[in-house]
Amino acid sequence: MLTTCALLICPGKEKVDVVELVSADLEEVAQKCGLSYKALVALRRVLLAQFSAFPFNGADLYEELKTTTAILSTGIGSLDKLLDAGLYTGEVTEIVGAPGSGKTQVCLCVAANVAHGLQQNVLYIDSNGGLTASRILQLLQARTLDEEEQAGALQRIQVVRAFDIFQMLGALQDLRGAVSQQVRSSSGTLKVVVVDSVAAVVAPLLGGQQREGLALMVQLARELKTLARDLSVAVLVTNHMTRDRDSGQLKPALGRSWSFVPSTRLLLDSTQGSGSLGSRRVACLTKSPRLPTGCQETVDLGSWGTPAFQGDHKGHWEQSPVFQGDHT
Amino acid sequence: MCSDFHRAESGTELLARLEGRSSLKEIEPHLFADEESPVHGDILEFHGAEGTGKTEMLYHLTARCILPKSEGGLEVEVVFIDTDYHFDMLRLVTVLEHRLSQSSEEAVRHCLGRLFLLYCGGSTQLLLTLCSLQTMLCSHPSVCLLILDSLSAFYWIDRANGGESVNLQESTLKKCAHLLEKLVNEYRLVLFATTQSIMQKASNPEEGPSCAFNRPSDVDVDYRPYLCKAWQQVVKRRILFSKQNDSKAGNQFSLVSRHLKSNNLKKHFFTIGESGVEFC
Repeated sequence: MLTTCALLICPGKEKVDVVELVSADLEEVAQKCGLSYKALVALRRVLLAQFSAFPFNGADLYEELKTTTAILSTGIGSLDKLLDAGLYTGEVTEIVGAPGSGKTQVCLCVAANVAHGLQQNVLYIDSNGGLTASRILQLLQARTLDEEEQAGALQRIQVVRAFDIFQMLGALQDLRGAVSQQVRSSSGTLKVVVVDSVAAVVAPLLGGQQREGLALMVQLARELKTLARDLSVAVLVTNHMTRDRDSGQLKPALGRSWSFVPSTRLLLDSTQGSGSLGSRRVACLTKSPRLPTGCQETVDLGSWGTPAFQGDHKGHWEQSPVFQGDHT
Repeated sequence: MCSDFHRAESGTELLARLEGRSSLKEIEPHLFADEESPVHGDILEFHGAEGTGKTEMLYHLTARCILPKSEGGLEVEVVFIDTDYHFDMLRLVTVLEHRLSQSSEEAVRHCLGRLFLLYCGGSTQLLLTLCSLQTMLCSHPSVCLLILDSLSAFYWIDRANGGESVNLQESTLKKCAHLLEKLVNEYRLVLFATTQSIMQKASNPEEGPSCAFNRPSDVDVDYRPYLCKAWQQVVKRRILFSKQNDSKAGNQFSLVSRHLKSNNLKKHFFTIGESGVEFC
């Protein structure tokens, strides 16, 4: 893909870039840079053939999508209902919520379900420190007592830690590299990429007058979307909430430019229901390409694996892998 | 290649270019009343925040174009340029299936055969794609509609790459705007382009686009221009989308259509159902 402009340097003459080569009058360009008109015409033809987008026919694209698109159940019935059966490959789904609302728990549950229930591979990019192997093991132990199955499922979850945006972009590049070299694992194909959380690596870049921060965020967004399409995987990201300056209402973080990125957005709310000490959360569909928004479902975090944790402070339950709590 | 064609356009090429581009007058009677129907060479901009129905409107208009005449469509071809991998084929198929009287796979595939999709990864690739689109338009005389979703996808990347000079930041998009105007005029197309509302609302209209001031403003004036002047000058009609937050109105959306020369303003309401956009 052409992401930077190439420069033609002819000794003694001016430089010409790709944009000028395709859009300007070639006779003038020929005089400016010293190459012959014919050479420039040929060069232009090659550039256009090589780098312009290929027109896909809608019917062909649809046929291809029918065979490559899959819907992956999250393992949580109420979320599957909101997502219209599950996470769709080729799309980016976002889970947004305040600290302690259960975003990481949902991600871990999805990873466990895809690895064990669907027998497919998961790439889990952790930028929060919220993932512990013991918690995943607990979730798996709730599904099966067979230790071999548990071990097999754990092997299907690849964990990468990325604490800044460059590490995250690097991890995504590595993934593409591994796929293009056709590094096949015997245990299944990659179907889900979880990024928990995207706000942790992007939020430090925003604010102030820095343009580069926004450009990096948009670049990460494009990487995630093209990854989802090209590799036919479902991308699940988590995001924080911030307060709107005007209204004081809570809204998803990372601003307007990020809000266009996910195709589906689920809001996890812990302030309703049985209060913040319980394990019940209310999930609300706030963006969807298929279903009307505004639907709500109750999600009981306590019903997965080890019973409910106590307290809602994010640091508390994420750092200790073993919880004491009431059965709810 | 662009100037080559002009110099040596044969008679057949001329006919292919001019003849057979049907009229899009009937594309959406609710949106465009008779006098204001999009005519050949019109460039319309759909602008709005996330979730306001711009892409759904594009699916609606695309479906109107690619459906056969027997099902109420215009039976013309559409070129859809997607710059942020946002296009949802499955959603378009759902819309088509609801509008076809006989929603068989064959019928859907037949309609989709009239749609061409191009994915662009950067503003330079967009420019190259527009250049090579000319060959494609010559060989497909029934293309009447060009859709670009969205034009603002590369805004932050271009700004970062252009360094300190605003001219450099906007140069590729400026060339794209000129090329779009040329394509639309020469090949007698209509262009619908979406731009995302990514700037915070400002209290002071003279402040720059990256300011952080907010004040609730009327939806009619919630338009903060941030793309290059060249683009703003080629737009003939700007349509601002917004979502009603009224709980009793349900999931209702509204759009305000402004004709930039005559300053004619019109407001329409619509909802989005399984079969796509439905005007109220």
